Amino acid sequence: MADAAATRAARPPVLRGRHDRDEITGRIGSIVLRGRLPRLFWPAFFVAFLFVLLFFFSIAWLISVGVGAYGINIPVAWGTMISNFVWWIGIGHAGTLISAVLLLLRQPWRASINRFAEAMTLFAVAMAGLFPILHLGRPWFFYWLLPLPNTHMHWPQWRSPLVWDFTAIATYATVSLLFWYMGLIPDLAILRDRARTRAGQLFYGILALGWRGSAFHWARFDRTYYLLAALATPLVVSVHSIVSLDFTFALIPGYHSTIFPPYFVAGALYSGFAMVLTIAIPLRRAFAVEDLITARHLDNAARVMIAAGMVVAYGYLSEAFFAWYSGDTYEQTTMWRRAFGPYAPLFWVMLACNVGVLQALWLRRVRFSPLALWIAAVLINLGMWLERYVIVVSGLANDFLPSSWGTQSLAWLDYGIFLGSLGTFFALVFLFIRILPAITIFEVEELADEKAGRA
Amino acid sequence: MSAHGVIAYFADAGALSEAARAMRGKGYSRLDAFSPYPVEGLADILGMRPTRMGRVILAGAILGALAAYALVLYSVEVDYPVNVGGRPLHSWPAFVVIAFECGILGAALAGFVGMLAANRLPQYYHPVFGAPGFTFAHGGRFCLLVEAADPRFRKGVTKRQLRGLGATEIEETVL
Repeated sequence: MADAAATRAARPPVLRGRHDRDEITGRIGSIVLRGRLPRLFWPAFFVAFLFVLLFFFSIAWLISVGVGAYGINIPVAWGTMISNFVWWIGIGHAGTLISAVLLLLRQPWRASINRFAEAMTLFAVAMAGLFPILHLGRPWFFYWLLPLPNTHMHWPQWRSPLVWDFTAIATYATVSLLFWYMGLIPDLAILRDRARTRAGQLFYGILALGWRGSAFHWARFDRTYYLLAALATPLVVSVHSIVSLDFTFALIPGYHSTIFPPYFVAGALYSGFAMVLTIAIPLRRAFAVEDLITARHLDNAARVMIAAGMVVAYGYLSEAFFAWYSGDTYEQTTMWRRAFGPYAPLFWVMLACNVGVLQALWLRRVRFSPLALWIAAVLINLGMWLERYVIVVSGLANDFLPSSWGTQSLAWLDYGIFLGSLGTFFALVFLFIRILPAITIFEVEELADEKAGRA
Repeated sequence: MSAHGVIAYFADAGALSEAARAMRGKGYSRLDAFSPYPVEGLADILGMRPTRMGRVILAGAILGALAAYALVLYSVEVDYPVNVGGRPLHSWPAFVVIAFECGILGAALAGFVGMLAANRLPQYYHPVFGAPGFTFAHGGRFCLLVEAADPRFRKGVTKRQLRGLGATEIEETVL
């Protein structure tokens, strides 16, 4: 006990220094209301916007030329569109974990990072949702996945994981949006009352829905918020499990494995927390909110990454072991070609990032150095993208018919669409920071008052 | 311009809860309290019945899941039965996934819409917004509202009682 208390004392606080409500509101609110932005904000947005243009151009190219324009072919009919999809949806999951699971576990450190983590979820899901649709070849028919009356009198194939996936992603996007907006309402009321311009008052006023912070309202708000969190928790596990079923239901060597659902969920949290750090570290520096998003947050996020990352490492081990243990030549060949075949460089970079770089996080010095942590997070993001790519492609390239074996290479369009989606994601994050409070004001107020013994 | 009530401001959540309890003790029933963040137990002090949001959300979950399952069942059994080598049409393990997702969707929608409806939001005007001191601009304040409709309400007496309970500032609200 004494040891545990001593360790806790040695850890940095969730909130540094003493704060009052007026100061917190002023600091977070003025980013939005007075546009108090760092000097490089708009230049950085401009760079992201160039990638938005690239994204639009690439999508237009893809739709007008067809899916053959990027690097897929038979037998590898699933390429970067699917790996992008899995990667982006995984990134979204950390936001839900922070906002829902940490709320249920009553972890005070979620308060200052949950808002932008939830926004990150929304934008990541928006990006993810595009990829399966672009992958369709005829994206304008995507609504055939819905049980709508159509001219062919067809129903969706309910037994297909692709249809499950559609319901899972649609539900996940809706629930994330509702949860995010609900948490925003009290903060929007603050901005409504703080706004000096008529346009600002109208904009935040309409969105705040007339919130007045009544005790009766708070009681229902709180109960609903907790219940939504309790719903989001199994949802987030189910979403990535269903994503993994897209693979495991297929009788493809390297896909058909029971480790996939937990392994994918862990991978999602892993890459999601890496993305949280990728955004949080520059954000806290640029907006000088190091006392609200403290070293404690970064440390905790890094610890979650160690836990999730080690599960992912176990997943790699298990995949390799069962490929060997299955005694199936094709499983073994796929595994062998993954490590030593045409995708070997990607495979080893993936291992180096996801398992190698991860080990650095055991060191306190790395967890407490924002720069080192940021570099590790970016490398792990890269590694996780490679993981999805390697899984998607290597199984299909060597299936049970050696006569149809093939390989896949990346075309410029693969890069255009992936980099474009990254740019669009960051452009949306920039706009979000400019328009809405990126840190939950009312929860940080509560935290500060609790700390000062006022609550 | 008829009187709507009296609003008193308190220094912190503790003072507000104490004042609310004391006013309830004096027999007031038409009270409302406002705070920048949820204050544990304040709604109970004000005499709120336990919220039924849990049941609303459960109903949404059941409705969503049943509706999705019924749709799937109708499509595979009635509208478009496809016999694939004699396999059962009602292959429920596959349909549970869709029902689960739609159940969560129904629950979340019921929770969000139900919370707003039970709180009568959006309501863009309320008399407390007319009180000059009632603002969230500085992060929100802790205030207690006594409505004029309360049978115990006597403007002078109520104000004196609120001041006695430690109110830092007292204002009148009008309809």
